[in-house]
Amino acid sequence: MIKPYLKYILPVILPLIILLLPSDSFGIDGLTLVEQRVIAIFVMAALCWVLEPIPIYATSVLIIVFELLLISDNGLWFATNGHPEVQGTLIKQSTIMATFASPIIMLFLGGFFLAMAATKYRLDVNLARVLLRPFGSSPKYVMLGIMMITAVFSMFMSNTATTAMMLSILTPVIALFAKEDIGKVAFALSVPVAANIGGIATPIGTPPNAVALKYLVDEYSVSFAQWMVIGVPFVVVMLLVAWVLLNRLFPADTKTIHLDIEGQFLKTPKAYLVYVTFASTIILWLLGGVHGMSAYVVAMLPVAIFSMFKIITKEDLKNISWDVLWLVSGGIALGVALDKSGLASNAVNAIPFDSFHPLVLIVGASMMCLVMANFMSNTATANLILPLVAALGASMTSLIPFGGQVVLILAVTFSASLGMSLPISTPPNALAYASGHIKNTQMLKVGVILGSIGLLVTFAMLFILNKLGVVGI
Amino acid sequence: MDKINIICVDDEREVLESVSRDLAYFADMFNIEECESAFECEELLEELDAQQEYVGVIISDHVMPEKSGVELLTEVALDHRFLGTKKLLLTGLATQADTIRAINNAKLDNFLEKVWDPQELQQTVKELLTEYIVEKGLEYEDYIEKLDPPTLYRLIKC
Repeated sequence: MIKPYLKYILPVILPLIILLLPSDSFGIDGLTLVEQRVIAIFVMAALCWVLEPIPIYATSVLIIVFELLLISDNGLWFATNGHPEVQGTLIKQSTIMATFASPIIMLFLGGFFLAMAATKYRLDVNLARVLLRPFGSSPKYVMLGIMMITAVFSMFMSNTATTAMMLSILTPVIALFAKEDIGKVAFALSVPVAANIGGIATPIGTPPNAVALKYLVDEYSVSFAQWMVIGVPFVVVMLLVAWVLLNRLFPADTKTIHLDIEGQFLKTPKAYLVYVTFASTIILWLLGGVHGMSAYVVAMLPVAIFSMFKIITKEDLKNISWDVLWLVSGGIALGVALDKSGLASNAVNAIPFDSFHPLVLIVGASMMCLVMANFMSNTATANLILPLVAALGASMTSLIPFGGQVVLILAVTFSASLGMSLPISTPPNALAYASGHIKNTQMLKVGVILGSIGLLVTFAMLFILNKLGVVGI
Repeated sequence: MDKINIICVDDEREVLESVSRDLAYFADMFNIEECESAFECEELLEELDAQQEYVGVIISDHVMPEKSGVELLTEVALDHRFLGTKKLLLTGLATQADTIRAINNAKLDNFLEKVWDPQELQQTVKELLTEYIVEKGLEYEDYIEKLDPPTLYRLIKC
């Protein structure tokens, strides 16, 4: 284990060393001062997100502030008054600050509004109650139902909130299991597994997807519906795999179980407005091509409607997960800096990546992402790996037969959500582990198997969809 | 990690020690403080407030010389600095009038009777701490191994 103080010292010392090195020591021809500073900021971000000396969203804020100080046109005097050729291109301060309110952030805000309204008007619990009914009382099928509903909810709500809700429904049921019945493990694990996987299905399902949207622009852009065409089949396959696996590993002895969810659909005018807005927003997202509005614009509709009718009140606004939004903003700002400073294209040209086989890049980057996501925040992992991968992908012509940049970015993004073998991997894992029914080793086993199968399914699916012409160039 | 305190108040030394013993489960993550009178508890509260530490739960006896537990908890309930602090009355000798005052004025979160069941006390404190941490918006992940899962699942919304 590293010494505890190192996690505070390294993120300060290493970036400082990089800042002070002569610019020809990086092996990149014509490296400008701005580009060198971007490397330092990137290294600082990587160290802070891996070692976590400060909260992960604070790292994001730090990235933006350092960018403003060191590489913006309104930064510190000594950082902006160099000779233009040595100094390089400064980035506009408004461009950097705009990452806090980029369309991607607004898309997520819209998602948060939908999720909050659904929870507040008990749409989530009531839907769960109705949707679970057809699954009967055999433990195996009840579990399938729970996993499917958890996955569907986590496509639109945060994975953590979905997990908390489903676990609170499951807790009384698990308590009725016999002490030695290993089926408890399967049930307790089914929820976080389904929530982690389910988030992959939509652009707003989980923050790493938002980060990916930053790099899927122009000719590579992926619409809400297109994302779901790729994401939903993937989630369905993975859920079935997970379901079979959990039933194999931890078969339940209990013969029948009964889920008891109390409640009824709210029938007030406000509740109806929530139902209608929820459904219309999703339909508008899916029909992007018909009405011309982008997913980002559509996301603002629930924000307006729920604010107008006091469905989301002043108090509710305070409960929005700003930390998640800021965490993503930092990732976007990092990407902006790499791109706008010219570092991304410069660095990629300096290293002969074209001699690599493109599949090595896709598989290698996805595996690295999966491993990192197991130990640190999925979003922070995506924040770090995606800008690098996007820069590489843009420059590699040999990647085109395999679907180009889109396939590469999607593969890496999906892998970021597949890291779920430790209690610390994701908040849903931590919540399920806290139930006390799961052992470390059991979570590890399930996580490693699902992570590996998940990668294979990702590659296979993207390969097939690419051949069918659904994804990539 | 923020420092969260659990304060036990009882004028009988043995009772205080026994409450503390039953709460030993929390000792590695939370700070357990013992006070032998309401006044001592008030002093401690001032001190903790000056250090910007959190007071998660106060477990108080009712019948104590000079100042009763209900009086102490009423003061805490009205003090904006300790908004959200969970209050547990642990007593065998409260009259109906005392109990009414405890509920109306001290806004008790829980009431346990002496002699208490150690398991029940531990479970109650666990639930109260979970509520305190989530309601205060503290990082529940840091304390998760000592929290009550069902309460946590019920309260987490995002």
